[in-house]
Amino acid sequence: MLSRGAKWRLVVAVGLLALVCVAGEAMAQGAARNPFSVGVSEGGGQYTGVLGWIMSQQMAFERQMSGAVRAIRTTGAGFWTLAGISFAYGVFHAAGPGHGKAVVAAYMIANERALKRGLVISGLASLLQGLVAIAIVGVLALLLNATAQRMRDAAQWVEMASFAGIASFGGFLAWRKGRALLTALRPQAPALASRFVCEAVEGDETHQHGPNCGHFHMPDPSTLGKPTFAFRDAALTVITAGARPCSGAILVLVFSMAQGIFWAGVAATFAMALGTAITTGALATMAVLAKDLAMRLTGGQSSRRGEIIGRTLEFAAACLVLLLGLALLLGFTLAGV
Amino acid sequence: MKRLALLPPLLLWGLPAQAHPHVMVSVTSEVIFADGKVAAIRHHWTFDDMYSAFVTANLGQEGKDPTPQELQPVAQTNVESLKEFDYFTVPKLNGKKVVFGDPRDYSMTFDGKDKTATLHFTMPLKEATQSKLFVFQIYDPSYFVAFQFDKGEPVTLAGAPQGCSLSVSKPKALDSDESKKLNESFFSGLSPGSDFGAKLADRAIVACP
Repeated sequence: MLSRGAKWRLVVAVGLLALVCVAGEAMAQGAARNPFSVGVSEGGGQYTGVLGWIMSQQMAFERQMSGAVRAIRTTGAGFWTLAGISFAYGVFHAAGPGHGKAVVAAYMIANERALKRGLVISGLASLLQGLVAIAIVGVLALLLNATAQRMRDAAQWVEMASFAGIASFGGFLAWRKGRALLTALRPQAPALASRFVCEAVEGDETHQHGPNCGHFHMPDPSTLGKPTFAFRDAALTVITAGARPCSGAILVLVFSMAQGIFWAGVAATFAMALGTAITTGALATMAVLAKDLAMRLTGGQSSRRGEIIGRTLEFAAACLVLLLGLALLLGFTLAGV
Repeated sequence: MKRLALLPPLLLWGLPAQAHPHVMVSVTSEVIFADGKVAAIRHHWTFDDMYSAFVTANLGQEGKDPTPQELQPVAQTNVESLKEFDYFTVPKLNGKKVVFGDPRDYSMTFDGKDKTATLHFTMPLKEATQSKLFVFQIYDPSYFVAFQFDKGEPVTLAGAPQGCSLSVSKPKALDSDESKKLNESFFSGLSPGSDFGAKLADRAIVACP
């Protein structure tokens, strides 16, 4: 006979397997790409109000970029103009939709309480995004003389891998957070003299109490012995959020290359990454604050109710990452197209 | 707790379908008549300088602009992949949607001065039709590409019968209800409905007696 825990594990494992199969099927079929894409499936949007304003700002900045690159070539001046435009483009681009932010935000809700670490993760993800674009254009177009078609294929490959990465990362988080939630939901021994129950929760080896009844969570048993256990999750977040290059960076890099000043495109890409980092960092901050607020309003982790709500929130965030990854992988854009 | 309601939209923000256009296309089109009937549209789509640099990357000889021969494979790939998107062109004859046959006479040229690439291709109508009113729009419903009629004289008539007239109209502004719907679609992550692209696109109207 299987124990309850083992049954649950089995169900989750089978479910995940099924999802991976479905996703693989969709990958094989391949989603229709815009004929004029640069390899990553970014749609556009024509919106009104604040969002429309954000969209029109980024578009204006993207238009100005080519002019700034030309100015550098013809007059030698204008480097700071290009850097400034690219930076602003990065800020607005990240303020618009993009899955990287969703991954970072969800990760922050599911895991992190440390704001500083969230900011570092946002920064690194943005930097990685820039580096991937530079690598694609620099290696393929500049060194190997690849054509647009080859660059497109490479970007598509990176994108598919990153979608699969998001889905797996989400699945991994959902699995862990789901277990933690189940543990929290299990009825606990009734309180005797005190409201506080200071004993290990049965069945959850990660839930431990210190000698002074302080409450902390140990890492998964599988990660024990690795002192930097949080590093793995953080690194996964950086990679899944930052692996997919953005079309704007690829375009400015190729344009700079065509103008014979590839370095200007590289500089523009880094300025863009800085701008993106600021916006993503702000979003990570919002995620942490929202979670803190939720925890405070429900009495914090120390109460059973707070614990359950916190765990539910984490599990939900993890599920959203999983769903997002699958949706991207399956080529659903959910917003039509 | 109310602020928690912010979280799902925050996460839905991540969906990729709603960035801004990355490619600008300036359009000129000829409406070609045969025997007094509308027979084809010939498109000339000029890409913005950045996308032009991308699409022509490493195609020209060292230091030279790419030639039409060198660009022919690009033109072919483009035209072939445009099929799935109905060539981003929505033609209506006398109020009814009409279908295109396979594109022909496609090529790509590169303007060395502006550093822009132009895709040329002809879209024959499946059957030439007598028309009192021929309307077409060019738009990408996903908004990745922003199509705009060229300034000046974007649409011309070739071989049109006497008395045909032509006008190009800019989209009228969305009314507040429609704007609301479009914004809501952002937050719900659902499609605002496929007719929004059409409402926001330029429109060419050919009226014949």
